[in-house]
Amino acid sequence: MAEGQEEPKKITITVKTPKEKQQVEIEEDADIKKLKDVLSPKFNAEPEQLCLIFAGKIMNDADTLKQHNIKDGLTVHLVIKTPPRPEPEGAARRPPADIGATPFGLNSLGGLAGLESLGLGQSTFMDLQARMQQELLSNPEMLRQVLDNPLVQQMMNDPENMRTLITSNPQMQDLMARNPEISHMLNNPELLRQTMELARNPAMLQELMRSHDRALSNLESIPGGYNALQRMYRDIQEPMLNVASSMAGNPFSGLVDNSDGTNPQQGAENRQPLPNPWQRGGGGGGTGTTGSSAAGTGPGLINTPGMQSLLQQMSENPRLMQSMLSAPYTNDMLQALSANPEMAAQLINQNPMFANNPQLQDQIRTMMPQMLAQLQNPEMQQMMSNPQALNALLQIQQGMEQLRTAAPSLVNNLGLGVGTATATPPAQSAPPTQPAQTPQNNTQARQQQNSELFTQFMQRMVAAMANNQNNSSQPPEQRYSQQLEQLAAMGFLNREANLQALIATFGDVNAAVERLLALGQLSMS
Amino acid sequence: MSEPQSSLLLKKQLAELNKNPVEGFSAGLIDDNDIYRWEVLIIGPPDTLYEGGFFKAHLHFPKEYPLRPPRMKFVTEIWHPNIEKNGDVCISILHEPGDDKWGYEKACERWLPVHTVETILISVISMLADPNDESPANVDAAKEWRESYSEFKRKVAQCVRKSQEDCS
Repeated sequence: MAEGQEEPKKITITVKTPKEKQQVEIEEDADIKKLKDVLSPKFNAEPEQLCLIFAGKIMNDADTLKQHNIKDGLTVHLVIKTPPRPEPEGAARRPPADIGATPFGLNSLGGLAGLESLGLGQSTFMDLQARMQQELLSNPEMLRQVLDNPLVQQMMNDPENMRTLITSNPQMQDLMARNPEISHMLNNPELLRQTMELARNPAMLQELMRSHDRALSNLESIPGGYNALQRMYRDIQEPMLNVASSMAGNPFSGLVDNSDGTNPQQGAENRQPLPNPWQRGGGGGGTGTTGSSAAGTGPGLINTPGMQSLLQQMSENPRLMQSMLSAPYTNDMLQALSANPEMAAQLINQNPMFANNPQLQDQIRTMMPQMLAQLQNPEMQQMMSNPQALNALLQIQQGMEQLRTAAPSLVNNLGLGVGTATATPPAQSAPPTQPAQTPQNNTQARQQQNSELFTQFMQRMVAAMANNQNNSSQPPEQRYSQQLEQLAAMGFLNREANLQALIATFGDVNAAVERLLALGQLSMS
Repeated sequence: MSEPQSSLLLKKQLAELNKNPVEGFSAGLIDDNDIYRWEVLIIGPPDTLYEGGFFKAHLHFPKEYPLRPPRMKFVTEIWHPNIEKNGDVCISILHEPGDDKWGYEKACERWLPVHTVETILISVISMLADPNDESPANVDAAKEWRESYSEFKRKVAQCVRKSQEDCS
């Protein structure tokens, strides 16, 4: 010690971090704070980040070198701590951005959970995500809130986005790797969206499960989903005519047979790989019918018990109705409309009058032929590029003519259902009361316009399908030729199986591969 | 009075460690007048769960050193399968020399007079990075380490945070 005091004022200390070693000169009676200030620029860190250790002790700022017996030529340990203050800031800034990418898109919770994790300190972002997921899953109310968030909804309405989000979740990836069915499910944007809807609205679960099951089983029970779709163009009028004839034979069996009368429509629509917007739309419109007058005029469309209870729920619960209207079906419908501005214009022109101006029935009545003319103008028909479809349409028209002459009462009933169905799209912007008015006020017009409405409906349906499904009017071989080539290049040699898989997956090659592998050996070899 | 061999040895080690400190820890005396009681500060090894922590431990050397091992005890709270909850370090090189009566450890794995503070601490640091769950001292920690690693991680992170608060 005596030696130390005799040394010149400056001493040299070696400062050692796990990575580097530097020598500093400092007055021997300096305190640790001063040493840190000297070291700070050398190690490119704030003085507060520095932690100096000597002889098993962490040295405090107030201590002096002498106190710790630090002499010339000795070495002290230096640990550079991660900056204590910038860290929370950084963490606060980053999580929201990250949360946006979490599988569940928890934007609304971002701030909250982020702050929480800040309180707990050093949790990683994965931990953050995990905690949020846990919290969400254990709290259905919160989950619903999150899912109700418009941002989240918007995101969910973009199936591509949704899929990437979900598949980027490692757990999901794992799950998908083990269960091809699940990945296939994820590749079906409709299903995905519906699932999200359901998570948001558990009350709807049961009903939708039922109808979905039915739709799926319908799809699957028909070998080659697309063939069924194709056949639909030809076959749609058959069951209707059957019913019509049975109705003609027994006109007084009205109420009972009406349920059958609706089935052809539903059956036909259920066969479509993509849910037909009009089906759900018809349901939405029908709500008013059940709610108000129409029990006598047309229980037709809504006779199946599942449909009915669903509709009841909807009329009782406007929120349900809303979510219904924001459901995939409606989206499809909107897409179809935007793809077909003419049709959209027609609908928009037509329906507000229908709904808001009951006094304008006469106008509506006069508009009907116009609209029909529009529908039948060459432009419109060009859009329905498929001659097959047009043929079918003509046949249906003829069939309806026949039907009208043979069984007028049936046509009324059927027509009413259809009429409300066409009136549905604008009901998106307005609650179910509108369609409710429609049947009432339209009573007189209805009888004359029913067949026209129905024709319109059918035409639109066909057009919508044509637009909706990537020109599904093309034969699948043509439509999926690229994908077929890809599959063949991948070594899937069974062209028929490939085609079916592509049809079932709406042309998604990845999903088709999954499907092929899952269905596997049978179809491949 | 001539100093015992143990004292001379330890003094030599201390001087050497002060001049040329070894990576990962810093050693000194608890009381400058007692060469048998050491205080070491282990810097949480980088790239382990303990990174960023400062773990204080005491080493108590017997007068018979180096024929008999010191005892090592963490003063800072630390969660590790091979460190008892009271901080005692359970590591084979600190076990009394000779064959283990239970047959778990060979003599060469146990205390040998060649060990110094430096070699002891290097062993401990490597133990931090790589726990040996075959002979756990903290059974709960070992179980967590094996079965619910995330929980183990969480507890360690807690210790690390606490150790940082303690030292600053």
